[in-house]
Amino acid sequence: MEKDKILGEGLLEQYLMGELSKEDVLMVENALQKDAELKQHFLQLQDDFEKLGFENAVAPPFQVKYELQKRLETPKVKTTTRTPLLAAASLALIFMLSAVWLYTKWQNAEKNLESLQITTADLQNRLDNLEQSYLLTSNRLETINNPNVIPLVLYGNAIAPNSKAVAYVNHKTKLVVVNPQGLPKLPTDKTYQMWSDVEGEMIDMGLVPTDKELITLKYIDKAESLNITIEPAGGNDHPTVEQLVSNVIL
Amino acid sequence: MKKPHSDQELILNLSNGDKNALYALYDNYSGALYGVILRICRNEMLAQDVLQETFVKIWKNSSSYNPEKGKFYTWAYRIARNTALNALRKTDNLIQNEDLSVHTNKTTAEPEPDYMQLNGSINTLEPHHQTAIDLVYFKGYTHQEAHEVMGVPLGTFKSYIKQALKQLRKTYTKELIWVYFIFEMIA
Repeated sequence: MEKDKILGEGLLEQYLMGELSKEDVLMVENALQKDAELKQHFLQLQDDFEKLGFENAVAPPFQVKYELQKRLETPKVKTTTRTPLLAAASLALIFMLSAVWLYTKWQNAEKNLESLQITTADLQNRLDNLEQSYLLTSNRLETINNPNVIPLVLYGNAIAPNSKAVAYVNHKTKLVVVNPQGLPKLPTDKTYQMWSDVEGEMIDMGLVPTDKELITLKYIDKAESLNITIEPAGGNDHPTVEQLVSNVIL
Repeated sequence: MKKPHSDQELILNLSNGDKNALYALYDNYSGALYGVILRICRNEMLAQDVLQETFVKIWKNSSSYNPEKGKFYTWAYRIARNTALNALRKTDNLIQNEDLSVHTNKTTAEPEPDYMQLNGSINTLEPHHQTAIDLVYFKGYTHQEAHEVMGVPLGTFKSYIKQALKQLRKTYTKELIWVYFIFEMIA
């Protein structure tokens, strides 16, 4: 049945040309395998077909074979797989290098930032200090350089010649400030102490340590004079009159 | 004309990856295949590219060739024909996009180039048989396309092919007898 169909419909000729559908190809191949006579017929067909081809052969230019050999001998596969690999490798290298470069840049920036922050903090501190000392100085200046302030110089007597202290008295604001810088240094177990003389009685105004620039002391109403004595460290309740070093009358 | 008996050997070597086998097969078959390709492409430059591509495909697909199913020439012919038709389709698409069929109905005002002339036993056939064989075997038409070109029903066209092949068979057998006769005379 199949054989008749194949021969009748010229399927073998179409099979030869590769024109048949997959199903027909399977059918024809099956029939060829089973039927020796059909197979022989197909072989004959192929022989004639081949002869026809050779009778009408046209010699191709030699160039074609040369090109074919060139194409097969220099494997394209290698070059095509190597090129993207190389590209990928160089890209990776570039990325790596730029990553390293960026990292060092970043680290440098980080360091710079840190030192800048330290400098800024330092400057801020110094500015604060300056501000404080400025405030202090301007405060002091205000307390001293004022029309209501009477500056009094307490020159040293025979016990302490060349010694000098300056007292600034403001009767309006009832403020006494003393600059002890001109007083000679005392051993650590001694200190200067200042007293006000009110109707013959010495009233304690406070200690006068020589390591300060300005010392604010107690203002005593109706004081007639200011007196400085040398007392044991920590001060005394009553003045040691023998150790009077300086006095000034108000 | 007859190829050396070592074809089978060459084909075996080819499937084992022997390039020299491919080049030997090229020497044996490139002429016949180029004849077909050239007649399909009608352009020598294109045909040369197609021939090269055909042998590259033969090289790459050598393991899929099964000698049980057909002769090497039949297999190689199919590859050449398909490669040529595909190449033609590509170039045609570049030129004109509307017509997707491979065989554009070119008006053959210009004379046919020499290589389009068919040689050998085919010339002993009746003209309509010649045309039928030419269309299918040398110009790459399918039976379906060719019968339309000839303007005859498919069945009729198929019988043209069959009759033509029968006639060719007779011619070749006669040739063989003559060859045998001459050979006997010499011997």
